[in-house]
Amino acid sequence: MDVSQYLEIFIDETREHLQSLNEQILILEKEPENVDTINEIFRAAHSLKGMAGTMGYKRMQRLTHDMENVFSEIRNGKMKASPKLVDVLFKGLDALEQYLDVIVNSGDEGTEDNEDIIKVLNEILNEGLGGAAEPAAPAAAASAPAAAAATQAVGESGVKPYTLAEHEKSAIEKALSEKMNAFAMTVYIQETCILKAARAFLVFKALEDLGTVIHSEPAVQDIEDEHFDFDFTVVLLTDKDAETAKKKVENVSEIKIACVEAITMDAVATASATETKAAAESASVQQKDSGAPAAAATQQKASAGKPVVNRSVRVDIDKLDDLMNLVSELIIAKNGLVSINTADVAGLRESGFNEQIEYLERITTNLHQSVMKTRMVPIENVVSRFPRMIRDISKKLDKKMELYMSGEETELDRTVIDEIGDPLMHMLRNAADHGLESNEERIKAGKPEVGSIFLNAYQDGNNVVIEVRDDGKGVDVEKIKKKAVEKGTITSEQAATMTDKEAIDLLFRPSFSTAEKISDLSGRGVGLDVVKSKIEALGGDVEAKTVLGEGTTFIVRLPLTLAIIQALMVELGQEKYAIPLGSIQTIEDVLPSDIKYVQTKEVIHLRGNVIPLIRLRKVLDIPEDDFAPESLTVVIVAKGDRLAGLVIDNLIGQQEIVIKSIGKYINNNKMIGGATILGDGEVALILDANAIV
Amino acid sequence: MTETVSSKEAKQYIVVKLGNEQYGIDIQYVDNIVRMQKITRVPKAQDFFNGVINLRGEIVPVMSLRVKFELDPDEFTGKTRILILKFEPQAAVGVIVDEVREVVTLDADQIEKVSYNPNDEKSLFLSGIGKHNDNLISLLNIEGIIVEKEKEA
Repeated sequence: MDVSQYLEIFIDETREHLQSLNEQILILEKEPENVDTINEIFRAAHSLKGMAGTMGYKRMQRLTHDMENVFSEIRNGKMKASPKLVDVLFKGLDALEQYLDVIVNSGDEGTEDNEDIIKVLNEILNEGLGGAAEPAAPAAAASAPAAAAATQAVGESGVKPYTLAEHEKSAIEKALSEKMNAFAMTVYIQETCILKAARAFLVFKALEDLGTVIHSEPAVQDIEDEHFDFDFTVVLLTDKDAETAKKKVENVSEIKIACVEAITMDAVATASATETKAAAESASVQQKDSGAPAAAATQQKASAGKPVVNRSVRVDIDKLDDLMNLVSELIIAKNGLVSINTADVAGLRESGFNEQIEYLERITTNLHQSVMKTRMVPIENVVSRFPRMIRDISKKLDKKMELYMSGEETELDRTVIDEIGDPLMHMLRNAADHGLESNEERIKAGKPEVGSIFLNAYQDGNNVVIEVRDDGKGVDVEKIKKKAVEKGTITSEQAATMTDKEAIDLLFRPSFSTAEKISDLSGRGVGLDVVKSKIEALGGDVEAKTVLGEGTTFIVRLPLTLAIIQALMVELGQEKYAIPLGSIQTIEDVLPSDIKYVQTKEVIHLRGNVIPLIRLRKVLDIPEDDFAPESLTVVIVAKGDRLAGLVIDNLIGQQEIVIKSIGKYINNNKMIGGATILGDGEVALILDANAIV
Repeated sequence: MTETVSSKEAKQYIVVKLGNEQYGIDIQYVDNIVRMQKITRVPKAQDFFNGVINLRGEIVPVMSLRVKFELDPDEFTGKTRILILKFEPQAAVGVIVDEVREVVTLDADQIEKVSYNPNDEKSLFLSGIGKHNDNLISLLNIEGIIVEKEKEA
């Protein structure tokens, strides 16, 4: 059965299930007895297995199957979710995510078997069922030598571990029995090499002169697409000796070294036991070692790679219905135009035409807005993976911490959502790693032992603000200055006159990020310049605030030309203004006789609060007219806990509006937070209540 | 229009009218020319900004060159146009002119530099005087007109 048409759905749903599993297992870790959670996990794991099976991803299915077995036992109450089990489960989820990534990029699940995870899972399962409280020493013991063997393999010969499929093994066996040689060879390409794929091609060509290449890691296709770092491993069957093969390969220019290792029958047999663990190991080692060039390579990969699947957005069915309605209206408008064209009376034609054009204009504007709306995604999609990340960091650093999030429902444009994840992750890591002190230090400083990290998102006028706050030790401004002077970033005179804020801004300088030492000193400064440039590329900005001993806050502000808010439309004279609903408390009718004066300022007394009145006409320079209404319509807005009453002429109603910037050239005293285009094409300005109050 | 691009230095200018004078605007900054339309006033903005318009879904601030140059206030006629200028990407500004005349190509030797007096803000507005046939065209320094606003603000 051809299932490729379901691939996108599969990927979407798998992502969702994995995310939900991550979240639920986090809960399970804290509340091992929570039946709802266990049921939820079981359901998700079960669907995951079913989907993977349907799509023919056997390895993925196998791993989920074993995980599901464990969940099933937990659900039946035969096992408990021990910390060790949770760790393994998370590892399993990571492995599943890797499968998914491979699938997204190649359409195939790859060749990773994750035997070690499956093994540990089964051991835990057996233990649990056997009722034995014995610690899982065998498992640890089993994986330890495997790991050791693997590192050894890399260390001695320089040949990276590889995975052989059954038919490849039998091919090797056959070749060996025919007195041919089998070699595993890892070819390292110089890091300065630009056309890696071309070099690799030449290597393959050279090897094929000698014999047959039966296996390569990464796959040949990936190598051709430059989907590899600076090395790849091949298995060669040849009648020549190792030295010949080595020379032949090293003759290709820009090849650093070729490491060759003979494969014996024993090696073939044991390879399968060590390969998985080893591959994982080497992957992490490789990442650490290769550093900058590897990062560049990954970037290249990202741009060069053609993912099999397009990115997609899940859209609320209501939004789609809206779109559908608008499209129907568009068709009606077109038909209207057609019929006008055939009308006989010229005057009728003229007026009808204009009418239809206006109608059409209204529809297209709405259509535009609706399409924009479908692009809006709650920030939850990005932040939901952070609790898991903080948990892992907490375990790794052996530092107790808790992540508190709020405002996950804040909506951002899809493109921003895609880009904002990494900078946020970086800031959270920074907070967890450097911002928070160790538990002992915290107790000494009289703080609660468990550190807190806060991630708050909210809409602020024209911006979406995301705050990353920790209650750690804060940044020592003096130390930053000292370091900056030492590094020559600033002069000592500059340092002396520098405000604290300016000093903290130094953290975002690129030169600071490369200095490893500053991170020990101040706890900040690694990669913040990257965070800043990324956020600035999105049109936003980032600032840091810190109080020594009390913590640090990073504030990311994303100005959103696309942001959509609910607003109250009001009328003042001939002009229309929008007031963001978020800042509105209530709307009141106030009799002129109820207005009191305090220090010649108008105030009203409302349910125990004295609220100053602001005549918007005056503030916005709209000429007063003579009309004196019987009662005033007052919109009560709040800024923090301060209230103010805005006097307006008329209410038009609530409306969802798209915020657009009015450009940087026009100066408006911040009272205008932006503008929006109304259904009839007219521009209405958005009042920033914060600036007026 | 008979002249052709005779040297590499030649630049094209859109010639507009303000009162009795002719001004030239470097064509590379001109994104669009639109008819006069409803301008939404922006309270407390600089006096030479008439407000903002809706240009196909984008909000574009519109300024009056007449006010900026301290000429008589605008009179909107059938010939009044808004030139949409893009000095920087993502930041368009509209300027109101009485009339758009033509496009001329001026060689470097047809342009006379004007003296620059840092104390006189208005001297920032011009980048030179172009001689075309028998007419003199004041060439506008778009940067001076648009960007300089920020300092005032």
